[in-house]
Amino acid sequence: MFEKEKTAEEKKGRKKNEITLHAGQEGHLSDLKVGQKCELLSLHNDNPALRRRLLDMGLTKGVIVKVKKIAPLGDPVDIELRGYELCVRRSDLMNIDIKVVE
Amino acid sequence: MQAALIGNQNSGKTTLFNLLTGSNQQIGNWPGVTIEKKSGALRGAEGWQVVDLPGIYSLSPYTSEENVSRDFVLNSRPDLIINIIDATSIERSLYLTTQILELDCPVVLALNMADIMKRKGVTVNEQKLSAFLGVPVVSISALKRTGIDKLIDAVKKCEPKKSVGDMFSPQIERAVQSVQKDVVGDNKRFKAVKLLERDVRLAPVTSTRIEQSAAALEKSEGMDTEQIFADARYKYIARAKAAAITVEAPKESVTDKLDKVFLNKWAAIPIFAAIMALIYFLSVGLVGTFTVDLVDGGFGKLAELANNGLLGIGASDWAASLVSDGIIAGVGAALNFVPQLIIMFLCLALLETTGYMSRIAFFLDRLFKRFGLSGKSLIPFIVGVGCSVPAIMSTRTIEDEDEKRMTIMLTPFIPCSAKLPIISMFGGYFFGAFAWVASLSLYMLAIAVILVSALIMKKFFFKGQPASFISELPDYKLPSPRYVLRQVWERIFAFIKRAGTVILLCSVIIWFLASFSFKFEYGVDIGDSMLAGIGNCLAWVFYPMLGEWSWAATVSAIQGLVAKEQVVSSMAVIAGLAEDITEGGLLFGSGVFLFFTDASAYAFMVFNLFSAPCFGAIGAMRRELGSAKKMWVAIAFQTGIAWVLATVINAIGSLILLL
Repeated sequence: MFEKEKTAEEKKGRKKNEITLHAGQEGHLSDLKVGQKCELLSLHNDNPALRRRLLDMGLTKGVIVKVKKIAPLGDPVDIELRGYELCVRRSDLMNIDIKVVE
Repeated sequence: MQAALIGNQNSGKTTLFNLLTGSNQQIGNWPGVTIEKKSGALRGAEGWQVVDLPGIYSLSPYTSEENVSRDFVLNSRPDLIINIIDATSIERSLYLTTQILELDCPVVLALNMADIMKRKGVTVNEQKLSAFLGVPVVSISALKRTGIDKLIDAVKKCEPKKSVGDMFSPQIERAVQSVQKDVVGDNKRFKAVKLLERDVRLAPVTSTRIEQSAAALEKSEGMDTEQIFADARYKYIARAKAAAITVEAPKESVTDKLDKVFLNKWAAIPIFAAIMALIYFLSVGLVGTFTVDLVDGGFGKLAELANNGLLGIGASDWAASLVSDGIIAGVGAALNFVPQLIIMFLCLALLETTGYMSRIAFFLDRLFKRFGLSGKSLIPFIVGVGCSVPAIMSTRTIEDEDEKRMTIMLTPFIPCSAKLPIISMFGGYFFGAFAWVASLSLYMLAIAVILVSALIMKKFFFKGQPASFISELPDYKLPSPRYVLRQVWERIFAFIKRAGTVILLCSVIIWFLASFSFKFEYGVDIGDSMLAGIGNCLAWVFYPMLGEWSWAATVSAIQGLVAKEQVVSSMAVIAGLAEDITEGGLLFGSGVFLFFTDASAYAFMVFNLFSAPCFGAIGAMRRELGSAKKMWVAIAFQTGIAWVLATVINAIGSLILLL
């Protein structure tokens, strides 16, 4: 019974991920589809080491990020920024606020 | 004089290091190739040493291997830093440069991959960049070997940094300078920034004054100091870019086109499976069946010749037997597999240098995450197909401690190249033309065992939070034939060297123990030899998986601790000495090994593959796990799983054979 509930919730969660964001809308980096571009607004990660790493890798405020590829199993996501490509797990992208550019 | 070579992961550091020093370090197109610092004399510059450091993205390191680099620059105080920049991702590479420029140390910028840069539509004006940053900039291509002499000249000049405009905005600059006054010792500016960032590892002591400066800065900028500095550094890079770099809009690159296939939603995993299958098909299937008989026949003739020759010149029976039944049989049994290993190492070298390895990590991360591992664990698993020792060492790139320890304990399950002789010999005899399928099935079984073990470990030992996975996806590169061939040669040479040393010594010992009784009588029946005596004491361990009391298989399996190929060599020596029903020189025709069925052969292979690895790998586990106790736990875990698995396989297999 409990198991069933959990899967139902998971399904809901997955559906929520499938929302489509249009240019000008705000959301999380994890919500973007392949080919969409966005401007980074803020990082609010509670893991300081991970946050530091993301900053070091160039995920700073205002940077333009494009979702380049999504792994065949749906996770992780390959994003393009500052002329190179970086793979990050969806769960970590959820903590990044963005504004869609196109 | 000492020059430290620093740059991002995968920026071509080790290739450059090899060119600067003329040495042969291993290279690859995946992060973590260099895990320890290595040093060598700088070519054409007397008195200069170059130190190759693990790749880092920032001087605020994240993993233990990155700490090596940071500690080296801060504590060993090199006389100069060669900062290698991957010109194809120049913005991110320059981020590390902005930190290095804060150290009290001359810097030379080596702009690598100049050849690829042009193809990507990036043009860098060296003079302008040099003027902007205040340090010499040299364009090089480590792969095409251009610009290296210019770089060496720049190092020899060892120019101090020229002062250029401020890196940060006036407000941030003021805060840094005010904190800088309170810093004692060297690298004042660097430490001041770290203090403002509240980097606890580097600057544990912080005063209220510093805290006030940091808080004031945060208030006016509207974000915390870590973000402020990261942001300010990237803004500075943007100015450098505007001054010296032009980028044309990129077209769809070859990498993107290839990724459409290799990272295709449906095709990615089948392609990966096909590639692994191909490696085994080529090495074990195609080359294996063809060469083993050929080479084996050659060694058989050599043994016969040696035997007759020695007897002919009046050598005693035992001397002739030592040479032909001991040394030639034992060493020859290992050398049989050289052709297969060449193919296997070639395939691996290609995998490693093309950039496909990072892709495997990328698309299997999701699967591995479920088992508490990540795509990063996959790199050791693939390197482990070659050898567990570098594979275990490459776990240093894994950030999460739990995941790292799990990966260290699981990596030896992967069938390494030294296990290939075992697989190939058993597979070839019992499964004939399908030997490569048997090999591949063992690789798949290994992955299944790894995942199940990971689940068990996660449940009982490691209960931490799921880690994250951040990895660069490098462009595909055409492998350089020179490096691929060199790598294959080095690994093959290591194998041959082992055959000529460790295996040779073991073969002599085994021959001795199998030829003499405990009363030191020569020429006794092998069943009465010392070796049989030792084996009989321990044969009970192997009875459940073999279905037979076999001292010969027992002692051979134990020798896998020395080197896994020694299992095969030991069996060859014992079979040669037993010589009951040798038909066509085949080892399994010998009386001592006649009992093997398809089921027990597979079970025995599984035990040898999954049980405690060789001493070399055990040593690597000990080093990376950090304690002998953890090492023993790992060995007990591995051997336990191997024993249970082998016993179950024999039981089920025997049932199937009965039907």
